[in-house]
Amino acid sequence: MSWWREVLQAGFRLFPWPTEPGLRTVGQPDASSPVLLTGNYDLTVRRLMHALKGQDAWVVVAPSGGINVWCAAAGGHLSTHQVVTALKTCGVADRVQHRRVILPQLAATGALALDVFRRCRWKVTFGPVRLEDLPAYLEAGEKTDAMRRVQFGMRERLEMAAAWAVPIGLLLGGLTLLLRPGWALPVVAAVAAMAVAVFTVYDRLGRARRLVLAAAGVASALVATLLAGGGTAAIVVAIGLPLLLTAILTFDYEGSTPTEGGSHFEERRWRIAFDPERCDGVYRCWEVCPEACFEKLEAERKVEHAHDERCIRCGACVVQCPKDALFFEDAEGTRIEPEVIRRFKLNLLGQRSVDAS
Amino acid sequence: MSSLALMRWLEGSPQRYDAGMRLLTFGRVTRLHEAVIAAAARKPGDRVLEIGCGTGSVTARLVAAGAQVTALDQAPEMLEQAQARLPEAGVTWLEQTAAEIDRLPEAGFEAVVLSLCLSDMSASERVFVLREARRRLAPGGRVVVADEVRAPGLRGVLQRFWRVPQAALGWLLVGTISRPVPDLVGELRVAGLAVQAEERWLLGSLAVMVAEPER
Repeated sequence: MSWWREVLQAGFRLFPWPTEPGLRTVGQPDASSPVLLTGNYDLTVRRLMHALKGQDAWVVVAPSGGINVWCAAAGGHLSTHQVVTALKTCGVADRVQHRRVILPQLAATGALALDVFRRCRWKVTFGPVRLEDLPAYLEAGEKTDAMRRVQFGMRERLEMAAAWAVPIGLLLGGLTLLLRPGWALPVVAAVAAMAVAVFTVYDRLGRARRLVLAAAGVASALVATLLAGGGTAAIVVAIGLPLLLTAILTFDYEGSTPTEGGSHFEERRWRIAFDPERCDGVYRCWEVCPEACFEKLEAERKVEHAHDERCIRCGACVVQCPKDALFFEDAEGTRIEPEVIRRFKLNLLGQRSVDAS
Repeated sequence: MSSLALMRWLEGSPQRYDAGMRLLTFGRVTRLHEAVIAAAARKPGDRVLEIGCGTGSVTARLVAAGAQVTALDQAPEMLEQAQARLPEAGVTWLEQTAAEIDRLPEAGFEAVVLSLCLSDMSASERVFVLREARRRLAPGGRVVVADEVRAPGLRGVLQRFWRVPQAALGWLLVGTISRPVPDLVGELRVAGLAVQAEERWLLGSLAVMVAEPER
């Protein structure tokens, strides 16, 4: 129906795209049908409705400022408040007999299950990370290991490449068109190629290979300068291209990829620490961790933060733990208690530099 | 530019908020506040519920007018600024959403104030909140709404044009994009409230409405 929406959203997905919050239906849901909640990012809502085709379900669209679930949850736009507001005002409580709502797993940095229950008596379960897994999850009623983990496959990589290439290409291409029209198309093509290269190859390379690649980039910039044949253009290119390359290669991709760890001093300092004494085997951390860092120790009814190397410090485990058994700690043993993180959304993806004391 | 900068804007900022609102309303926000106070705090001791108090600019005026204020906001960083502004005012501060006013006592307030917060809500949320606001009114009480509305007629067309740069500026300054409330009078009616008085500015796009329960 609206192919233009697909195209625009592919190119401008870094920008908010709101859709009307409220209650929607898939199929013919009744009083016992599942209730799923998501943010009001148009792309997500459309993909969710598509993923649920063939099911009978209620979909609650919460007001997240038109921002996607993970960013909105980390940035405070899809928090307990928005979930409570949506559940109370959309009218779903009059349509179903149960009070169980399935939230996207990636909403766990912001929407607190325990708090939602305290404030409006809805019981929160965190569903799978990916929409494609929803039918299998609804069928089985529980998540498999694969469903809990964020993936960054070729499709997501190309989508992120497009999301960066389109606005930057338009900006640089537009500027070039004003100054030197003949170069506009090559510039746009170069931006597109760069974006695809960065998101499909570059972030999977080791440090040494990245340096080689960067050197090759600078070398090719110099060759381009020679070919351009001196003059103002050559000087601009000679200075501009290496700068551009440096900017691109040192860019902080953590907002765009789930694989790039935190690059900021503030969040490198903090690690997830765990107090086994307080752990009571609730397994919320296991349920919400997007990198599946936790292992269940069923016999002792405890967990283990077994894969610290994968941790991206999103803080979902810290804020969700009903026993306050997890917190951030730095090398000197300074702690940030869960309450502080819950209150100030200090999930180290959001307000990174807030003084923890 | 890095994604950190993007994140920062997404977080929004109470520091930018007041200045942003002044700029976005071409300075009319002060007159809007005055109209709200005149309608809400009619005599000293009036109990006023303020929904979405933000940084407390309306709250401070309500307190100055002698009202006994209960102010709520869902953003802890906004509430913190408001509290710092009015440390000794005896205001009851609540960190909660507008939709949770159904937990407050019924018939407990002479006025419920919603200043520049309805336009941040979805349609279903607005009707829910206005209905619950009506139930919180003591006999003779009123709901005072100040917000951006759709301007009538030709001026509405003009409004659509200036909305685009304004929305972009608003997103940069305040961190959210609000949309004018399409049919405020109609939504008030659905919530059982009838408009008794209204005042408008900026070609009719900024309105203060005083509504009372329909008989």
